[in-house]
Amino acid sequence: MSITKLSELKARRAGAVASSESLKRRVMICAGTGCVANGSLEVYDALVAAAQKAGLPVKIELITHDKDSDVPNATYVGKSGCHGFCEMGPLLHIMPDDILYCKVKPKHADDIIATTVEKGEIIDKLLYKDPVSKKRKTGSKDIPFYAGQTRIALKNCGHIDPESLDAYLGADGFAALEKALSSMAPKEVIEEVIASGIRGRGGAGFPAGRKWKTCASIESTERFVICNGDEGDPGAFMDRSIMEGDPFGVIEGLMLAGFAVGAKQGYIYVRHEYPLAVERLQKAIEALRKEGLLGNKILGSDFSFDVAINRGGGAFVCGESTALMRSLEGKIGEPRAKYIRSVVKGLNDKPTVLNNVETLICIPEIIASGGAAFAATGTPKSSGTKAFSLVGKVKNTGLVEVPMGTTLQEIIYDIGGGIIKDKPFKAVQTGGPSGGCLPASKLDLPVDFDTLTEAGSMMGSGGMIVMDDHTCMVDVARYFIDFLVGESCGKCVPCREGLKQLSWILTRICEGKGKMEDLDLIERLLNLLEGSSLCALGKSAANPVRSTLQYFRDEYIAHIEEKRCPGGVCRELVTFTITDACTGCGICKRNCPVEAISGEKKSMHVIDQDICTRCGACYGVCPFDAITVK
Amino acid sequence: MKKRLIVTPQICIGCRSCEIACSFVHAESMSRPAMSRVRVYPFSADSFVPVLCLQCEEAACAKVCPTEALVRNKETGAIDFVEDRCVQCKTCVAACPFGNIHFDATANTIIKCDECQGDPACARFCPTGALVWAETPPAITGKEKQAQPQPAQAIAMMAGRK
Amino acid sequence: MHITIDGKVVTVHEGMTILEAARSVGIEIPTLCHLGGVEPYAGCRVCMVEIRRSDWTPDYSKLVTSCNYEVENALIVDTCSQKVLESRRDVLALLLARSPRATAIQELAAQYGILASPYLEREEGDNCILCGLCIRVCEAIGASAIGTTGRGVEKLVEMPYGDPEACIGCMACAETCPTDAIKYELDDNSLTIWGRTFERTHCKVCNAPMLTPEHIAHFAKKSELTEDYFDTCDACRKRQTAEAFIKVIG
Repeated sequence: MSITKLSELKARRAGAVASSESLKRRVMICAGTGCVANGSLEVYDALVAAAQKAGLPVKIELITHDKDSDVPNATYVGKSGCHGFCEMGPLLHIMPDDILYCKVKPKHADDIIATTVEKGEIIDKLLYKDPVSKKRKTGSKDIPFYAGQTRIALKNCGHIDPESLDAYLGADGFAALEKALSSMAPKEVIEEVIASGIRGRGGAGFPAGRKWKTCASIESTERFVICNGDEGDPGAFMDRSIMEGDPFGVIEGLMLAGFAVGAKQGYIYVRHEYPLAVERLQKAIEALRKEGLLGNKILGSDFSFDVAINRGGGAFVCGESTALMRSLEGKIGEPRAKYIRSVVKGLNDKPTVLNNVETLICIPEIIASGGAAFAATGTPKSSGTKAFSLVGKVKNTGLVEVPMGTTLQEIIYDIGGGIIKDKPFKAVQTGGPSGGCLPASKLDLPVDFDTLTEAGSMMGSGGMIVMDDHTCMVDVARYFIDFLVGESCGKCVPCREGLKQLSWILTRICEGKGKMEDLDLIERLLNLLEGSSLCALGKSAANPVRSTLQYFRDEYIAHIEEKRCPGGVCRELVTFTITDACTGCGICKRNCPVEAISGEKKSMHVIDQDICTRCGACYGVCPFDAITVK
Repeated sequence: MKKRLIVTPQICIGCRSCEIACSFVHAESMSRPAMSRVRVYPFSADSFVPVLCLQCEEAACAKVCPTEALVRNKETGAIDFVEDRCVQCKTCVAACPFGNIHFDATANTIIKCDECQGDPACARFCPTGALVWAETPPAITGKEKQAQPQPAQAIAMMAGRK
Repeated sequence: MHITIDGKVVTVHEGMTILEAARSVGIEIPTLCHLGGVEPYAGCRVCMVEIRRSDWTPDYSKLVTSCNYEVENALIVDTCSQKVLESRRDVLALLLARSPRATAIQELAAQYGILASPYLEREEGDNCILCGLCIRVCEAIGASAIGTTGRGVEKLVEMPYGDPEACIGCMACAETCPTDAIKYELDDNSLTIWGRTFERTHCKVCNAPMLTPEHIAHFAKKSELTEDYFDTCDACRKRQTAEAFIKVIG
């Protein structure tokens, strides 16, 4: 254990910073799950090999307290957490030049070393190409995807090696804990969090400072702090990227929460499907225990704290805080009424603070720089920034972070680059299964906790799915309801039975068997879900259906009265036809899973409607937009 | 001082008014003496014994109940049956060493003497005073009271178990 | 402390639920998954009532489950408002669609004017409404022999891993089930429930069937009474008590 005193921490950090500053270049390869799946680890290996082959002084680890292994003027080739620009992965970021290379392959490694690392020159064809101006852009200041962002929660993702304590220290890691333990009382830490105005980033938006204050005020011999890493919304990966890319930051946030409310034990509940996050967090915990930064009397203070990781069992409902606590206790993950507040009686019936990953990752910054600075970004009622997973039919899919109050327009068009193939925008779904769909007329709405809720959706945990005109809004509602049917815990009647009935009704409508009376039944079920469900899963389940009914009611009517799907999606109701724009390239024919397309090369192809299953594969691959769907 | 149901079998004439009164007071729609909480047993032409719940100091029924549906009422001293808490396992019926708690299959519930909320019908209708609702007789106070074994213990001793 | 229920002022104490407070003044609120002897589950949502508080805006109200919502000073409760009735009707309509043959549901739904459910009936719907009472009762008994598997509409009440060893054959689950969904076969000599057949014990005096050996062993151990407490039926015990009395008084 070598970091048991404040002086030791300061010395270790100074070493890390000095080591980092002495580097000639840092070459950071994105090792988030998305880029890893795309082969970024092979890129890393190729780069290290190429650098060594070129005879460059290379560092692959930042060991800062071992002077003997120090390499002057070194090039550091490291793995980082998610850079965010997932559409363009595998990503590689070179500092201090601020050059971002996209879609890097192992075969580019030699060139990168020779041209950029050794000579400082840019390889144009690896740069990001702006689809509008068609110009190549170099780095985070010119690329619109990054230029529009303010990365606070994601500040370390993409810049440091998530498996290195020294890398974290070099990025000002544990400066907040140092400040808190040496010069602040727990009450003062809570006051800073209250001053920051930070609201829960898991979706509910409850002021975190107030939650901490209430918990600290309850008399108890034991209390707990929990980090909610269950992130169940389909399409959301903000928390995953933070846990994978900045695990020490998550732990520091949790430690500060523990210090503030008087807890000695913290838990990080990670969903089962995030093995890399679990691995990185576990490594971080072990490293901290080894150095004495977790355990008894941390940094010579009276604060003792330890963290344990709990993996989920594959249940979306366990992201609900009371269900999560039951799951942690080893019981069935079923929520309980909110009349009994968890800050009073939570885990094991003790006062418990539960916060989302993204909330906790902001805490070190709030403590280090003060709550007022955080409150100065964003809007008065929704301070700070928010991370979004921007996915769907948008050109620049990935992880973005913007100040609260940024409009949907700015996120989807300025940062996201607009709709793929510049097709018409139809709707954006925000907030996952608890949220709703908003049409083009609402693109000017600022994104924060309250505005989207007033419009019928909600910001939620940050999922943002962009949809083009080839989307059926009834099908979208059905998709979310079906998801919830499978994830409902089954305890209360409105959610368990009501969602299943809703699923049957929406399916009937999609199949062209709906009746106008079905809309009345839907309304009844939505009211029941909102008014009588036991937990937020059921209560907010009404949102996807309500919002699509509010803004796209004509689509429901078209399905029911005309047996027509305006979005061209519902299989029983649509027909795909090849128009005379067809050039006979044969791509559709090759992609048809049931061999329904026939035609000679260079002459018009035709779809046999009797065999066609309406899967839409041909529509998706035609390079000439020669297939229509009605 | 608390009132108790005092049984003096020596003056019981076997008229069974107590059984009829008890079942009538507890009946939902009709009187069924078979489900009276008190039963009179004849032993000869002039020898009768009424038996009813002794509200034992160490009640076996309360001891076995898994949901505290049988609890001591601190004010009256009786063992109260709380129907809303009963799960109908009928363990109490088997456990009572004196057989004074039953399961009424028609009413679908446990029945036992509840002292009629402080005005027992059996005592009201008993013509001879074999059943009276009174404070413990003044004769049995102080040392004498201590010397008297409690009814449950007495019978237990007689019945040959601890 | 005082609260108002349906316009009536009711004296309450801390820790009381709205349901207990209502019952204390004879106001009936229907329930399905509630039993006083076990923890409230608040799953059936039939007992929901509408509440207002003096510190809320006058047009704001909430539906809460009366079985586990603890009273607060000056709470205003409405047990049969429009909102309450709509919620209750739809809950019952959904349950009727789930278990159309459960007479308890049919009767309760009929009280609220629902004779046929507007929702799609579950084809092979059994009577189980997943109220969880049997499980909570079994836990209170101390056997913990049954639990749930799966979630959502696929949830089932079963023996964990299909192992019937923990069951003691007390039948409390079947007795407390509000819809008689637990099937069993009972005759003078045996009980079959949860796929297991038990022998029945008999009164050593009159041979009337009583409990099961496992039931007796479980409760004897739990209450530290000897097993001979349970070997004679109540009728015979009562006669034995009379006989003991007669011996004393001569």
